[in-house]
Formats: sequence, structure tokens, C-alpha cells
Amino acid sequence: MKNIVLGQYLPGQGFFYRMDPRTKIIGVIALMVAIFLLETIPQLLIALAIGVVCMLLGRLSIKRIAKGMRPLFILLIFTFFFQILFNKEGSILLQETLTISLASIGAIIALTILWRLLAKLRRFRFLLLLGYLAGVYFSLAYLAYGYTFASFVFTVYERGVEMSVFVVIRLLVIITLSTILTLTTKPTDLTQGLESLMRPLKVIGIRSDEFALIISISLRYIPTILDEANKIMAAQASRGADFLQGRLKDKIRQIISLLVPMFIIAFKRSEDLADAMETRNFIPGMKRTRISELAFGKTDILATLFIVSSLAASIVLRVL
Amino acid sequence: MGIHFREVSFHYPQNQLTFYQAIADITLQIAKQDEFICLIGRTGSGKSTLAQHMNALLLPTEGSVEIFGSLITNKRDKKINYNLLRKHVGLVFQFPEYQLFEETVEKDIMFGPLNFHVPPEQAKQIASETIKLVGLDETYLKRNPFNLSGGEKKRVSIAGILAFDPDILVLDEPTSGLDPQGKIQMMELFKAIQAKTGKSIIIITHDMDLVYEHASRVIVLHDGSLIYDESPEVLFRRGDLEQFHLQYPNTIKVLSALRDRFGLDLDIYQKNLPDALLAIKKAVAR
Ligand SMILES: Nc1ncnc2c1ncn2[C@@H]1O[C@H](COP(=O)(O)OP(=O)(O)OP(=O)(O)O)[C@@H](O)[C@H]1O
Ligand SMILES: [Mg+2]
Repeated sequence: MKNIVLGQYLPGQGFFYRMDPRTKIIGVIALMVAIFLLETIPQLLIALAIGVVCMLLGRLSIKRIAKGMRPLFILLIFTFFFQILFNKEGSILLQETLTISLASIGAIIALTILWRLLAKLRRFRFLLLLGYLAGVYFSLAYLAYGYTFASFVFTVYERGVEMSVFVVIRLLVIITLSTILTLTTKPTDLTQGLESLMRPLKVIGIRSDEFALIISISLRYIPTILDEANKIMAAQASRGADFLQGRLKDKIRQIISLLVPMFIIAFKRSEDLADAMETRNFIPGMKRTRISELAFGKTDILATLFIVSSLAASIVLRVL
Repeated sequence: MGIHFREVSFHYPQNQLTFYQAIADITLQIAKQDEFICLIGRTGSGKSTLAQHMNALLLPTEGSVEIFGSLITNKRDKKINYNLLRKHVGLVFQFPEYQLFEETVEKDIMFGPLNFHVPPEQAKQIASETIKLVGLDETYLKRNPFNLSGGEKKRVSIAGILAFDPDILVLDEPTSGLDPQGKIQMMELFKAIQAKTGKSIIIITHDMDLVYEHASRVIVLHDGSLIYDESPEVLFRRGDLEQFHLQYPNTIKVLSALRDRFGLDLDIYQKNLPDALLAIKKAVAR
């Protein structure tokens, strides 16, 4: 559990790291708006290409970013199929009668077993899933033998394919943008940037500095609390209650016996922290100075130029 | 039987890319019976990490540990009953805060026995016996372990392990945070347990007097490597301990100072105060 890295920040060099977090936050928002203004696949592809060039210039490893996006691949795949299945505009590309029959059910069961057996080959997980889905499709389409339970018509429309590609690329670009932000900005810098950006909200009574303090303390303590959970689990394991062993009933009891001490310790810790802050003269609401002040630099000016021109370009494309 | 380390190394992950090597290439054997081992080494030398390998709380990154016939390697083995290994080797944690988690001291001491299928009434009985063994009285049983003092927590955490009667005892700094009287009591308890049952006991400590007086074997770690594994008599006759941030026992320090200051013909290798006094008397008489 130790290697859960929060906010996936990875130390590194390159201009993304030198940029002020405020520029990055506003930049990501502005560029997202710009992306949503684009309307065709070629435009999106150009945006993607520009993005890749920027990453290369900023010396970010594309592999790393792809790895950071992995949890979201499911979302991408889901969106893709959703568009294909439910978008019914344009001309028909493919029409097939799918039959749920004895033969196709048998084939699907066989395929599922095969797929689960091969699941050990974790490297090819994604390919296997695709292969499995294709297999299911073909057995539904061509194995209409034996007793038939139901059948329906499956159609794919031109516009559906187009839209699914479009939406997937758009999502890809947007996810890439936010991944760059979280990969190159420390969580603490991120909250400091947010605090600074939200400072004007003071007029409507929202105190951004307290808000930022709460967030940064929470961020700071998540790994500590995970660590604590690990230690309690070790203490229980060393007295015969190993979490990875035992039946479901035992596991539920163990989770409860983990949660109670976790809460007690968390409360105790927060009291200790409050005392520690008070002994160092922390007074809520007082203005505090910082070790590192945020400052704009040359990179920020260049980045702002880039962001403004991208946004302008996509507005122009949209209006034309 | 017992515990057998074979070329064990362990890495703590630091972040996604790097790791920290806490112990390196450790080979050693611990018998099931009649060992009284002290594990010493400077802060951060990997003692606690090594101790957590002894009951398979940590799995070795490289190499293997054999615990009572089960071979523990990098991968968790479905065929091994890890819970049973913990019944064989009881580990008292360095920081009692990490070990105490139940709402009352009594429940906490009963936690181990209950997991090892001791009937509840009997576990209760055991709890009230062990709390007295570690020098607290029965009024403590109903208290909340989080509100105890450091030394009291320490004692309760030791009771929690003694309660399920493991075959080998591993104690990570059992005397830290105790008053001098409490230290002596605790050591006497361990000695008595060993005299009665012959169980092997492994103690991690920074107290060289304790090592010299009680240990039958001393294991010294330095920067994660095992550098000495020998009897305390041999170890403290070495001249190079200070370079590993280790001290000599007080008896040796005082006697050697006396010898050098007054030019006495003195045997400085005395394990405790009475022996040391006797040696001084002899030397003065000469
Ligand atoms: N959970 C952890 N994650 C990362 N590094 C760790 C972890 N626990 C210990 N270490 C590192 O491993 C090294 C050995 O730690 P260990 O706790 O085994 O030392 P020790 O000899 O018991 O020290 P002490 O005498 O202070 O108890 C230390 O340098 C420590 O920083
Ligand atoms: Mg330690």
C-alpha cells in the first residue's frame, strides 16, 4: 500500500516543472475549453499533435503519461462502444442479425473460460479483452444453431463510428492535459495555486487560505494514515489475524477491527497536530508568510501566449 | 526447525522509481530452543526490518527465510498458513502504539489467543495472568490502551504476545521507555520464561550492559549487513566497536578506566556490578 502515490506527481525537469501552478491551472482550463470548441476529427488530431510536441519539448515521457491514464482506459472504451451502439445517424455501415441460440451460448461460455484461463498473461490483458469481445460478437452473429432464445438486429451507422472516434480523441486530449498538470505539479503547489486564484472570492465570504490549509493538511496526512493502516494490519497479522488469509466472514470482522483503531488514531493525531501548530504560534485567520512565494517567470509568459493563441484559434475555427 | 535466513535482502519502496535497501544478504540460523540472542546495531541499521522477517510480516525481496519448516520467499504462497507461523514466532513491536488497537487492555491481550482458537473464558483468564506477569495489576484490564503512559503501553504490548505462548519470542526494544527497575524486572521475566520453557528469545536493544550480562549470542547489524555473530565475550574484546557506533558495557568502561588510571592488574571483562567489585577488590589487594 506504500506505493500508492497521491496525485501521481513525479519529480523531473523541463519547462512544465518550472511553470507557476497558477499558469498551469488556468492553462488547463482554457485549453479544455478550446478543445471543446473544436468540431472535426482533423482539428482534434492537430490539437493532439501539438500536445505531443509540447510534451516532447517539455521532456515528459509519453510512456509515463500513458501509464498515468491507464485507469481511465475503461472509460474510453466504454464511451467508444456507447457511441457506436446508440448513435443512429448517417448511412448504415454494417447490419447483422445477432441470435442468442444454444450454439452461441455454448461458444460464449467456452470463450469466457478460455479468456479467464489466459488471464494470467497480464501483459496482453487488453488484447485478450478485445479478442474476447470479437469472439462473442462472431458467435452471436454466425452460430445460430439449436434452440433460439432471441434475436435482434445490430446496426452500425456511419455517424456513430465518426462520433465515437471524435469523442474518444477529445477525451484522450483532455485527460492528457489534466495528467500533465498532476504529473508535473506537487499537490502542495497545486493547492497553493488554487488558494491564490481563489483569493478574490473573499468578497463573497469564502476564505481561500483556510480552504487551502485544510486541503494541504488532508493531502499531507493521507499517506500517513495509510501507513498507520498498514501498521495496524501488521500488528493484527502478527497476532494471527492475517488480512490476506481467511474467509469472507473473517475478513469483514478484520476490517471492522481495522477501522476502530484507525479512527481513534486519526482523532488523536489531529489533536496532536493542532497542539503542535499552536505551540508554533499558528493563529487561524492571521496572515502568514510562505517559504516559497509563487512567481511568474519567462516560461509563464510564453505559456500564456501559447494558451491565448490556442484558445483564439479554436474560437476562430468555430465561428468560421 | 527454528528460523533460517538464506541470503536475505529487503527493499522498501521509496517512490515509483526508487527503493531503499534496508537489509542486505543476511544469512543466519536461530535454533528453536535455548538461544538468548541480542540483536544490536546503530539506529537505522535494519534491526526492526530483520525482526519482521522472522514471523513473515515482511517477505524478503531476495533470498528466503525458513520458519518452522515453511519456506518464505518474495511471493506469498497459498499453501503456507501464515497465521500459524505467527503462533510459532511472537513479535513484540518496537513502538507499542503500533501494536495496541483494541478498546480495552483486556480485549487487546485476548486478541491473540482468540485468533488462535483459545476459548473466550480461558483467554480472559490468560489476560489477567499475563498482565500481572508484565508488572501491572488487574485494574489495568478495563482501561483504554491509548490512554496509558509509554512504559505501561510497552508492558501491555509485551503481554499481548506472551498471552498466546509463541515458541520463539522476538522483542524489539522491550526495555526502552521503562524505568531502571522496570527494565530489570522485564529482563528477569524473559530469563524466567526461558529457564522454564527453554524457548529461544531474541531481543533488540541499545543497552550494552544488558547485552553483556544476559546474551548467549550477539548479532551486530551495520548499514543492513550482518557484521558480527558471536558471543558477547568475544564481541566486547574487539577494539573496533566504536566505528559501528556501538559502545562498550559500563563495567568494561569503568574497569578499564580504573586500570589505566591506577595501573592496576585488573580483569576488566566483568558482566555485572558484584563481579566488577570483586575484581577491583582482588586487584587492590594484590
Ligand atoms: N516503512 C518503511 N519505508 C521506507 N523505509 C523504511 C521503512 N521502515 C524503515 N525504513 C528504513 O529502513 C532502514 C532500517 O530501518 P529499521 O526500522 O529496520 O532500523 P532499526 O535498526 O530498527 O533502527 P532503530 O534502532 O532506530 O529502531 C532505515 O534507514 C529506515 O529509514
Ligand atoms: Mg527498530
